[in-house]
Amino acid sequence: MKKKVLSTLLAGMMVLSLAACGGETGTQQPAEQPAATTETKTEEPAAEEPKAEEPAAEPAAEAEPTGELVDGKFADTREITVEIYDRGNDGGSDPENNDYTRWIQQQMLEKHNVKVTFQKVPRWTEVDDINNLLAGGTAPDVCVTYSYPTIKTYADMGGVIDLRPYIDDYKADLPNLWNWLGESNLYWDSDPSDGTTWAIEAKLANMSRVVTYIRKDWLDALNLPLPTTKAEFHDALVAFKDNADTLLGKDAAKMVPYSVSYDVGWRAATLIESFIDPKISDKEYYVNGFDDRKLTQNGTKDAVKLLNEWYNEGLMWNDFAIYSSGDTTEDDMMKAGYVGAFTHNWDYPFRNGDDSIEANLKRNVGENAVFVACDPFEDKNGGHNKFQAGPIDRKVFFPSTNDEPLASMLYLDFISDPATIEYLQVGEEGVTHTVNEAGAYQIQAATGDAIQNSGMNIDYTITCNGLHLTSEDLTMNSLAYSYAGIDPQLVIDAYKIANTDARVGINVPVGDIEAEGGVGDTLSSKRDQVYDKAVSAPVADFDKVWDEGIADYLAAGGQAIIDERTAAFERVFGDADMIP
Amino acid sequence: MAKTKVKVPVKKQSFGVYMKRYWQLYLLLALPVIYLIVFKYVPMVYVQIAFKKYNITKSPWVMPWAKNNGMEYFIKAFSNPDFRRALRNTIGLNLLDLVIGFPIPIIFALILNELVFTRFKKVVQTITYMPHFLSWVIIYGLAIQLFAPSTGLVNMLITNLGGTAVPFLNDTAHWVGTYIFLGVWQSFGWNSIVYLAAIAGINSELYEAASVDGAGRFQKMWHITLPGIKPTIVILLIMAIGNILGSGFDRPFALQNNLVMDWAEVISTYVYRAGIKGLQFSLTTAVGLFQSVVGVIFLLGANALSRKLGERGLW
Repeated sequence: MKKKVLSTLLAGMMVLSLAACGGETGTQQPAEQPAATTETKTEEPAAEEPKAEEPAAEPAAEAEPTGELVDGKFADTREITVEIYDRGNDGGSDPENNDYTRWIQQQMLEKHNVKVTFQKVPRWTEVDDINNLLAGGTAPDVCVTYSYPTIKTYADMGGVIDLRPYIDDYKADLPNLWNWLGESNLYWDSDPSDGTTWAIEAKLANMSRVVTYIRKDWLDALNLPLPTTKAEFHDALVAFKDNADTLLGKDAAKMVPYSVSYDVGWRAATLIESFIDPKISDKEYYVNGFDDRKLTQNGTKDAVKLLNEWYNEGLMWNDFAIYSSGDTTEDDMMKAGYVGAFTHNWDYPFRNGDDSIEANLKRNVGENAVFVACDPFEDKNGGHNKFQAGPIDRKVFFPSTNDEPLASMLYLDFISDPATIEYLQVGEEGVTHTVNEAGAYQIQAATGDAIQNSGMNIDYTITCNGLHLTSEDLTMNSLAYSYAGIDPQLVIDAYKIANTDARVGINVPVGDIEAEGGVGDTLSSKRDQVYDKAVSAPVADFDKVWDEGIADYLAAGGQAIIDERTAAFERVFGDADMIP
Repeated sequence: MAKTKVKVPVKKQSFGVYMKRYWQLYLLLALPVIYLIVFKYVPMVYVQIAFKKYNITKSPWVMPWAKNNGMEYFIKAFSNPDFRRALRNTIGLNLLDLVIGFPIPIIFALILNELVFTRFKKVVQTITYMPHFLSWVIIYGLAIQLFAPSTGLVNMLITNLGGTAVPFLNDTAHWVGTYIFLGVWQSFGWNSIVYLAAIAGINSELYEAASVDGAGRFQKMWHITLPGIKPTIVILLIMAIGNILGSGFDRPFALQNNLVMDWAEVISTYVYRAGIKGLQFSLTTAVGLFQSVVGVIFLLGANALSRKLGERGLW
């Protein structure tokens, strides 16, 4: 008898545990279900990409009933999930549930009768994570990523909704989206031949990109000027190294005069760009432009060669290549005051309020310890050539598991409303900002659920990156005060330098480059390998290491992209070198 | 293992009789079998995508066949230098692991077995198998703290003593050494448990008889202990050989970095990078299938060989 009871019990437990597992796999269903509906339509295995039309067919049928909305409101409550980056900040607020998410949820329910749920995705591995979610059919209804190739690959497999019908047919219901992004950003990714649009490009309100920072207090201590040329910058690094004992005392061995991470293409971008011809043609820039780290542009090799010399002179961080994305070791070295100079996002040391690099540096080293922006890398014309990416930022898309594309579009419209953007960026008076005598918003460090995990809440304003307030004057005025606890002058200087001699990227509407599909990740990891190996090679081996690396990169798909881009450019623009 | 002797009926009974008598046991057995079918066999339907052009919205049965009679992705894989490199690295690292990592637990078990002081023996055993429970991410964290070129403890010690730092993690040859060393360190204690258990099963009368005949310690080890655990060794060796093309994912993935990628990329990490991240599902399924098929061939080969040499083999 006992045995019977026991075995039934055990069996029951196993069934339960199996059922629990089954629950998870059950959610995959929606991803597979459309198979039945689309199968029937794709009778003729026509040319290569018949699937592009399938999702388009779906909204056409659905687009009819405009009567769904009464005053922009659904009659019955709709539910959508929205991706939100999780930055994992120390002491940040819960990205899925804080003052801002609750405000958005309440507003969306009031305005459109749409219930919004947030789903967090780790910021620094977002491409991997969104990939996994898409593959598992559990991605949020409104997805955001920086990687267009990822979207394109899924679109090719029928996993993404064509947004064009919604953008066009519901134009009247989406006034804010149209006003804010306009045709240029809404249609940026549209296929020039049939108009299919897999993603909407968010707008970069502030196009500042990368700036080099240097320890002003160290320069002062050694009586050095703020460097304005490569030679002066190099002198400063050497001086830091030679005077490590005075500057750091017992921690002298920990000094890193110039810190660059494994992501050399980004973290030495100002140096690399200074080696590229400021007058480079649109064609050349585009053809070599698949990699935004400029690996194959003319001039990059010389820049890396210089870095390689600095590395071998002991001016750089020895261990840079063994720490990967998201590791905070390097930030901690900056915060502890061991780093003399670095290149990073234009506002990097100001981010995160009390936990910013500047704030930590002050706490750990002393009141006058400070990183200031400088512009030390002159180009061949004596200017300070920089390339900005163009007014685009994150890409917003709807996976095909999204059952509420219209409600999702309304969400984008709401999030593009200037009033929404302003509220999310500056928050409540007295909590996240004060208004100063100049009428500018002055951001202060918030606490608890009012903490903005990303600067100016850019993670929530998914169609807008960068401060964008209801009036332009207010924006400029407030930008300087938008970093809690940071001297506004530091911000103004960095902003100016980031925009000195900057060339803004333009859209090159030549359609899809087939060779780019599926290789993005392989190539970017190869690119990092080429950069890392070349920087850390012995000086005598540099040419060999670089050339071998580039050959490997090109063989792995880089060359195919360059060739196809050349052909596509010539097909659309003929012999022209510049886009009219 | 306590065995209760049950009278086995010689006469063949019908399935129904067994069912009636042992239904509880069958019930218990059914669940793992269902588990295997649902999670291991049903997904095999997707092996097809190695031969088909993958589409996320279609069932694998209706996906169109890939070019070249479905062999497109196999051709693509073998003409891809990255895959060939990953294949070479997988075999190379696994062979090293086999040559260095396989005998160590055996030797360790033999040594441990000779220890007389049981408490010391137990402590040593516990300490050595502990690392088995650490995840590779943590081990990599330890490795960085110890072996980083300028901030690692070991290298700081070396430089402070006047030597030059050893590039344990950032030079390919050294990295391979570190990789093997960490693998052995993590697993030898755990792997020796099986051998210790086998040794414990050897009839002690054999040792007594040998002692009477005047055999020394090494002679006993050589002529009794080793032959005693030979079947265990052979079975584990067969399984290790079957795994020569396979490799765990965490270990290489956690330990690799950009500077050593030429030797650190193995098939599992390549599949992750090109397949999951690069979304080339068909290509990487083809790679995975190839890996499994070669693994099975090796396994069968080693098994046949061992049976030919008079050992029992796996089955």
